[in-house]
Order: sequence, then C-alpha cells, then structure tokens
Amino acid sequence: MWLNWLPALRRLLPHWRLAALLALGGAVVASAGCSQVGGLGLAVPGTAQPANFPAMVYGLAQNPPDAATFELGRRLFYDARLSVDGSVSCGSCHQAAAAFAHAGQRLSPGVGGHPGRRNAPALQNLRWRRGFMADGGVLGLELQALAPLTDAHEMNLPLAAALARLNADPAYRRRFAAIYGPGSIDTPQFLRALAQFTAALTSANSRYDKYVRHEAGGTLTALELRGRALFQAKCSGCHATDLFTDESFRNDGLDRTFPQDSGRARITARPTDRGRFKVPSLRNVARTAPYMHDGRLATLTAVLAHYDHGVQPSPTLDPLLRQPTGRLGIALTAPEQAELLAFLNTLTDHEFLADSRLLPPQ
Amino acid sequence: MKNRRFATPCLLLTLAAGALLGCKKTPDSQPTVGTVSLELANMVGAKSVALDGTTYATASGETFTVSTLKYYLSNFKFTKSDGSTYAAPGEYHLVDADKAGSTAFTISQVPVGDYTGVSFVVGVDSTTTKADPLSLTGDLNPANNMYWPWSSGHIFLKLEGILTSTAKPTAFAYHIGGYRAPYNALVTAAPSFNGSTLPVRADHAPAIRFSADVLKIFDGPTAASHVPLAATTEIMSPSARSVQMAQNYASGMFTVQYIHAN
Repeated sequence: MWLNWLPALRRLLPHWRLAALLALGGAVVASAGCSQVGGLGLAVPGTAQPANFPAMVYGLAQNPPDAATFELGRRLFYDARLSVDGSVSCGSCHQAAAAFAHAGQRLSPGVGGHPGRRNAPALQNLRWRRGFMADGGVLGLELQALAPLTDAHEMNLPLAAALARLNADPAYRRRFAAIYGPGSIDTPQFLRALAQFTAALTSANSRYDKYVRHEAGGTLTALELRGRALFQAKCSGCHATDLFTDESFRNDGLDRTFPQDSGRARITARPTDRGRFKVPSLRNVARTAPYMHDGRLATLTAVLAHYDHGVQPSPTLDPLLRQPTGRLGIALTAPEQAELLAFLNTLTDHEFLADSRLLPPQ
Repeated sequence: MKNRRFATPCLLLTLAAGALLGCKKTPDSQPTVGTVSLELANMVGAKSVALDGTTYATASGETFTVSTLKYYLSNFKFTKSDGSTYAAPGEYHLVDADKAGSTAFTISQVPVGDYTGVSFVVGVDSTTTKADPLSLTGDLNPANNMYWPWSSGHIFLKLEGILTSTAKPTAFAYHIGGYRAPYNALVTAAPSFNGSTLPVRADHAPAIRFSADVLKIFDGPTAASHVPLAATTEIMSPSARSVQMAQNYASGMFTVQYIHAN
C-alpha cells in the first residue's frame, strides 16, 4: 500500500509535503479508479502484467513508471561515461538483440579489456526476480546496478565518482531535476531512474506465450508440442513456470570441484552451496549464447548434450540430475533433443528483441 | 509529477492530515526528552590514530601504520538503573578517522532520566541494509565506500594500512561485514559506565566520550582470540577470521573515557 512507501518517498524528495502530495495523489488515482489507473506507465514498455506470469516482485507502485524517468534510465543504461575510462556502458554487455545478454561473448571484457568473471546474463522480466546475480548476492533490482558499476572487472567506477559525473553534466541535472526536484543527483535518484529502464525489459510475447494465452499467432507445430511435453516432463523441475526458472540455486554438474567460482557459497559460505548457481530463465534462449554461468557451452545442442552425458558428480550435484538408477544427467535421445530444440525456439520473443524503445537513445 | 492535476484535493488532504498529526505531536508544557552528545576518540593503544604514516605496535610486537579507519555505530540503547531501556530509532553514524566532523554526534529525543549503561551495534543491521534503497542516503550512502555491492550489505568496519614488521612492508585491508550465518559479524558493544550515570535532562545535554582502540580488533579477552596481522593481510568478505575480529572489537574496542553531565 502507498502508506508503506510514504516515509520512503519523504526521504527521497527534498520537501516532504511535496512527497505527501504525490503519494496522496497516487492514492487518489488508485482509489478513484479513474482513467489515470490505466494510464499508469502506459508510455513505458513492459508495465503490463502478462496473464501467464506470476505476480510481480518489483511492483509498479515501488517505483511508478513514467515516460521521463524511463527515458532517463535508458540514457543511463547506454552511457559509457559510467565506466571509469568511458569505454563501456551497461548496454555494451547487455544487448537488446540478445535479450540483453552479450552475443557470442563467454566472458565480456570490462574496462581495459579485462574479462569479467561470469557470462553476462540476459536481462529480462527482472520485475519477477527475487535475487540478482548468478549467486543471488544482490537483493533488489535497484541495488543491482551498483555491482557492475563498481566491479574492477566491469565498469570500475566508484559510486561517488559516478554521481559526480552526473552532477557535472547540465543535461543530466535538468533531467533529474524535472523528475525529482531541484538539488544534486543522489544515490536513490540514480538507482531508481536506472531501474525504470531495467524493470521495463519484459519479454512475454513469444509464440509460446501466444499459444498458452490462446492469442492470434499462437500456433505450435506437432514437433514443438512434442518438445513442450518433453520439456514439462524433464526440464520444468528447475525451469518452472512461464518465467522458465524456479529462482533456485542448483549445481548442474559442470564440474567436480569449484576452485574458481563457488557460486551461491560465495554469498552464504555454506559448503552445501558450493557449485550452485541461479537457474536461468530460458526465454529467448536461442539468442543468448553462449551458455552456463561461465559461458563455456557455445550452443544449445552442447547444453543438451551436457545434460544427456556430460554431468559430473560432486557432493552438491542437484538431486534431479541423479537418477534412481545411479545414472547422472537426463537421458535424451537424438529425436528428443530435436524436439526440445524446436520447443526452445518458440520462446524467442521477436517483439521484445526488436523493441526500438529499448535501444540506445538517439 | 503526472499527478499534478490532483494538487488541490491532495493539498487539502495533506493539510488535514498534517493538522491531525500536528495536534498529536504538540509537545507538553513540561519537556520529557533531552539530547545526548557522543564523541569518539580513535586510538591505537595510548596513541591517537593519525593517518600520516605514524607507526604503531601491537602487544605481540607487530608494527603497522593506518591509512583508513571507518566504522558504523547504530542501534543505540540506553539503560536505566531499574533495567528499563530506551532504544533510539534511526541512528546510523559513520565514524571516519579522516573526517573530523564524523567523530562527534548527538542523539535527541532521549527520555529524561539517569542512565547507567549504553549499548550499540558496530555496523548496520540487516533490516536496514535490506531496506528500500531510498534509505541509502547520508551516512548509509554506498558512495561512502562502506558497502559491498556484490552482496547487498554495508561494511561494518574498515581498517587499512601497512604492516611494517614483516620482512617486506605489506599493505593490509580488513573489511569486516556480513550478517548471514555462519559468518555473522554484526556485534553489539556495551562499554561500562564504571558506576557513573548519564543524567539526561530537558535543559542540558550530557556528553559521553568513548575511546575506540584499534588494537582491540586484534586482541580479544582470551589468548585464543588473538588475530595476528601477518596471518592474513586481506579480508574482503565474511569469514571465520572476520567474525573473530568483530567479536574482539565488540568486547574491548570501546571504553568510556568520561561522562559529563554538562
């Protein structure tokens, strides 16, 4: 309810009465049920709740979308001045045509060309995520940007320096002031503006989505439907719901030991979490190669082959990859793999991948 | 901003709400709260902390210089002789040896009375760390470089410098933080008033001055709690050793130098 975020708004805005006024204004709009309700964020992509998705985690009320803030977030996302030497932006490693993954890059180079430590993940449907990063260390969408911004392998820019650069730019000053009021650009403003863009990256219009929602264009072939049935039987234990992830951390048998990257254990320090990584969504998976947390598998064919006969044993290997017979992995015949690939290709959302509103601002 | 068309009804509502709240909060004619001033004297043993290359020594003979000393103090709780307590809400203070203004602050709205003890968290509680980023302003701003962006949490205490008793001088950096088991470094210090009382009155602000002794980060109450600098010169994530250091500074780093009634 708006009452919960009233005190927070009060801290954000320099004048609490203005904050109260805005909050009450929002409440009046919401309770009156007038046309403004439907208008909330209409100019901003990705604000509608897809019928086949669970409820949003980062709801619209937490950072009410509006066109000016979305455009500001978009500008920040594509601004290379947010890296220490001005060489990379968020968009360098998160490209729209690859569902905001980095096409063809195992480990994306950050500033100075230094490779990152993990494969740049796709950014999509972030409103529905509970934790961020492959190890779940980051607790919210707004906080997420701090990690790549300050990481020495990525943009390597201290937050204070980023804010100083924004405050030294008259155009940014004007844009922030128009939204948040006069005064210098601060951390909450910066993080929330950027989150208006990342939260807008909703992918929910693949052919598969239209099929399950019985919408026009939602036709699946017999091969794809067999693939779907197989997927439900053999893959949906982890790649669950129409988000295609259950958000859990699992060891998918890539290695026997984890000296370089212990995954979830980096955050929890629990030996039982060694080698566990966040189950990724499979939306647009045909576009997000290479695969796995370190990008070691170049193709989906290689991924299916891994699950069929490449799974390595270790104490934390996911139980779903250990069959009652003792066999490791998930047995998939060649025809079954062809069916699965056909189904996975129906998860490509061409509307999302080509949405010009999500491309760099002109 | 798009709700501007509702400005007039909203303003009326706001004023009405403000008036109601205002009536409730009108102070009584007899003020019942006062202010406490707190001051930190950052020390290494008997010497003041200086970030100028001054060399210090631990009890076990290791020598070092200090370039950075920063720590959070929060969740202050004042105790009266009858055991009743007052927990001061919303107090998060970043003490930075490099910022003169950061070593003294006040806590207001403390109910009047004679207090016989105080406790505080050295760090930032996980509830605050997990809160809406709107709260990340002032001393809690991640721009203060007391935050782990990769694990969504504040660093509780940061000590950096150069260890000079090794064959070759070695830079050290101890970043203590983490609020998850098994390496929860969120600790509470409760320095004794040594029989003194802190008299909080409406018309004058008593002051407490604490000594904060860096050497106590390495030495706890028992020999087993000793952490030699040379054993590890870099702590950048939660570990058994960072928890040991947190327990050490909780038990001995902060002592009361004096309490002035003023």
